Amino acid sequence: MTTTPVYDSSQRRIPLAELRHFWEYRSLIRLLATRDLTVRYKRSLLGVWWTLLNPLFMVVVFWVVFSQLFGRQAGDVPFIVYLTTGILMAQYFTQGIIAAGSAILNSRGILVKVHVPPEVFSAAAGVAAAFNFMISLIPLIIMQIATGVGVPVTFALTIFSALAMLLMVTGLGLLVASVAVRFYDVFDLVRVLSLLVTYLAATFYPLEIVPASFLWIIKANPLFHHIEVFRSLAYGAELGMLNVAAMVVSTLAALWLGIVVFGRSWKNVVVTL
Amino acid sequence: MNPPVIDAQGIGLAYRLDRNRTGTFKEFAINMFRGQVEHDTLWALRDIGFQVAQGEIFGVVGPNGAGKSTLMKIIARVLPPTEGRVVVRGNVAAMISLGAGFNPELTARENIVLYGALLGRDIKLMRERVEPIIEWAELQDFVDVPTRSFSSGMVARLAFSVATDTQADVLVVDEILSVGDYSFKKKSSERMEKLIADGSSVVLVSHSLPLVRKMCDRVMWLDKGDVKMLGDPEEVVAAYEAAADARS
Repeated sequence: MTTTPVYDSSQRRIPLAELRHFWEYRSLIRLLATRDLTVRYKRSLLGVWWTLLNPLFMVVVFWVVFSQLFGRQAGDVPFIVYLTTGILMAQYFTQGIIAAGSAILNSRGILVKVHVPPEVFSAAAGVAAAFNFMISLIPLIIMQIATGVGVPVTFALTIFSALAMLLMVTGLGLLVASVAVRFYDVFDLVRVLSLLVTYLAATFYPLEIVPASFLWIIKANPLFHHIEVFRSLAYGAELGMLNVAAMVVSTLAALWLGIVVFGRSWKNVVVTL
Repeated sequence: MNPPVIDAQGIGLAYRLDRNRTGTFKEFAINMFRGQVEHDTLWALRDIGFQVAQGEIFGVVGPNGAGKSTLMKIIARVLPPTEGRVVVRGNVAAMISLGAGFNPELTARENIVLYGALLGRDIKLMRERVEPIIEWAELQDFVDVPTRSFSSGMVARLAFSVATDTQADVLVVDEILSVGDYSFKKKSSERMEKLIADGSSVVLVSHSLPLVRKMCDRVMWLDKGDVKMLGDPEEVVAAYEAAADARS
């Protein structure tokens, strides 16, 4: 006999309880993420190929333009490998935030009828974005082999980069969702801001070209540290402990902030949906 | 004596309406900058207090807009009350609008699992329950058909079958027994009776006064968010009918 669950509306929601929800509802998250992916891949003509081609198109465009400026090498690796790692992470970041931010709004038909922690939908959208990212690592591996960079054993550890980014986009997505449930046009703002953040994260230019007086802007950008850690795991670029620390701290901060802010606004917003 | 299954004390729910109807973030930001963010508060429910004992069938009647559905959503944990406190002991199976959790693009089988998961049930268990659920809903021929091609009666049958598949401590029912054809109505009320016999409490919202009078142990009459009357079904329904007749 299991204990009877008791719902007490006067109980305050504590952020830690939300984290427990992610665990309790893990099978629902998996189900929603797979549903998301199957529906998307079934509907699009190119299916899974689109996930592979989309970042590659961007890489080609950026490479044609910027390899003229920065040359064929970026540090120890060919510029194209440096560029691809940056763009893959930047796309994961942007698409993850948009997906996690709109998931709750898209599921409001369910959320006003059935009791489910809404955060679960954001997490599921994040998981789907993470899956897409993992798929897009396949062309990166091929590229690293073809350019002679090779695939070090640490490449397997890029899973931690994917995981950290998943928590980060879920947190930031919840932050977006807390505004988006009232104002849909916030996504216009998010697109502009995330473009700014990705451009300021040394995605398509080597750090050496940045004037010393502006370096702090790049180093204050959490996405930059996520990308640096990913690069060092993917092809063995130098790994700074500062990068790892900044990645972990910014991830936890984003997640915590998203959960707290969303929890507060949801209580007021759910009645208006 | 067991503590009440539902204990509501002075609950109220306020809807916030923006006075300037700010639909976009841009407008909102501009209005905020000018210091013009104001909103009106509309109380859908105010100071509602009642208790439901284990195994009791509690009816709620009232005209449209009285706050009945809002109250159901508070009990089902969908809406948090703005003030007051509600305690619900046990699992709640809410049948507020059947099929709300369904994705029309997915097949009946996929929807059963998804809906069950949304209701917090174990997914492995749901996969095993697909056959009995489909069978009860008499939709064996449509297991692998997307539910978008279902009629509303078929969707209701399937959702009812999922919602009542496991024993819940509290059944929240909003006009459910009015869906479906004659044989389905008979079948669903038989199933409800079995759940009640096994100890479930029921909160029933209905405009069908004969049904309320026949089934309920106690009835609450809501009007414009207030409790007008609470007590014996015969008395409350009679008073409600008299008031409705007097108005027309």
